[in-house]
Amino acid sequence: MLKMLGAVLIIAAGTLAGWLKARQFANRPEQIRRLIQALKRLETEISYGFTPLPDALRRIGSQSGHPVKAVLLRAADGMDGSQSLSAQESVHQAIREEWKHTAMRPAERDVLHQLAYSLGTSDRRDQLKHIETAVRQLEAEESVAREEQSRYEKMFRSLGLLTSALIVILIY
Amino acid sequence: MHLSWLSVFPEQLARMLRLLPAELLSQLEEIRIREGRALEVNASGRYYFVTESGELSRDPGTAYKPGREDTHRLLDQITNHSLYTMEEELRRGFITVSGGHRIGLAGRTVLSGGRVEHIRDISGFNMRIAREVRGIGDAVLPQLLDFKHRSVKHTLILSPPQQGKTTLLRDLARQISLGSWGNPEAKWPGLKVGIIDERSEIAGSKRGVPSFDVGPRTDVMDACPKAEGIMMMIRSMSPDVLIVDEIGRQEDVEALAEALHAGVRVIATAHGSEVGELMHRPSLSKLVDPPFFQMYVVLTRTDKGVSFKLMDNKQRSLLA
Repeated sequence: MLKMLGAVLIIAAGTLAGWLKARQFANRPEQIRRLIQALKRLETEISYGFTPLPDALRRIGSQSGHPVKAVLLRAADGMDGSQSLSAQESVHQAIREEWKHTAMRPAERDVLHQLAYSLGTSDRRDQLKHIETAVRQLEAEESVAREEQSRYEKMFRSLGLLTSALIVILIY
Repeated sequence: MHLSWLSVFPEQLARMLRLLPAELLSQLEEIRIREGRALEVNASGRYYFVTESGELSRDPGTAYKPGREDTHRLLDQITNHSLYTMEEELRRGFITVSGGHRIGLAGRTVLSGGRVEHIRDISGFNMRIAREVRGIGDAVLPQLLDFKHRSVKHTLILSPPQQGKTTLLRDLARQISLGSWGNPEAKWPGLKVGIIDERSEIAGSKRGVPSFDVGPRTDVMDACPKAEGIMMMIRSMSPDVLIVDEIGRQEDVEALAEALHAGVRVIATAHGSEVGELMHRPSLSKLVDPPFFQMYVVLTRTDKGVSFKLMDNKQRSLLA
């Protein structure tokens, strides 16, 4: 009876682990897409709205989905707050604190990290160029992420179940 | 003490400035930051260098020298992290921050079609601290009253930079709008005042709302070119008195003439130290001859404070 319970636990844990890993593969391209959409809206805010960076990030952030929302709002708070952080520092701080809650990889993080250096420090034309570059890089990452998703998502999902089943068989 | 201007400085610089003697802090007029050179403050017509521990010095060698990091942070702060929203300001060479303080910029200009498009590599900053001095117009306003029309006379305030033109103008706007004429025989109520605040210095508007007290019946057209603003005000806000800072260009003068014929009283300021000087300035000479203004107020600064001279339209001195 105890053995039976153990086996069920192992299978449940294995399936869950596989399922979580698979979900990461599924979430990554989705989140990159959201980040790209947020940056494109930032382009519009800068070129047509002349919106100051903290306001623009807050507005876009509150309309974006998780986890882009948390990153952008945190960056906006850093600029508005009493700590008098520069735009670059606030974005970097937001990345440091919020990135771990995303499914995105270091490649995407580096794109945003790099963009932070030029954000808000030049005229409109220049800003748009920097954002465009970032969007292009993210799009490249997105297509890689989609490919990985189609390749690994199902695999990890079944792998979790199968591995745990194998362990149970070996134990018996 | 109200030191709203300190908040635009990055922490490092603000800390040093906060260490300055309290009396000096309350009188500060300008703070000058030049990358790689001594930090300078001006007060009451004198200049001092500031050391890292907040002491005053005459020797630029001992003073704190702001570095690239300082100027970058300062620029980031005064532009609200968004230099791209300041294209017009960069073309004109200054940014007005909340509280009405104006920060002049120096750097390398970028030209487009032979005209300055914007400034890059900004390394020099001059913050002029705006100060509200209520009652500074008390001595002047009673002289400007027009009893016949129950209004004020067309007035031009003249002075070199940094003598308190804008401060006086702001107080006049407040008192005219409030109807505190400073003369027991002046019994008419306050008038509608329209301020064309091209540099956001008179009212210090933030998001369109004045941060200084400019009076209860005062409308402010913020960050608007003067000539256009004068016409817009006359068409849309029916002011009794128009207040304009630093007129000088041809189109300003034309718009002022328009205001005169629309029956609006005008109080304006211009750079200069004598009325006679205006004759030599091509656009302004048209305002002196034939006489447009009924009164001239010439400000001069002495050790004791600001003093003024009044003259009528034939440039005869009046005793104040």
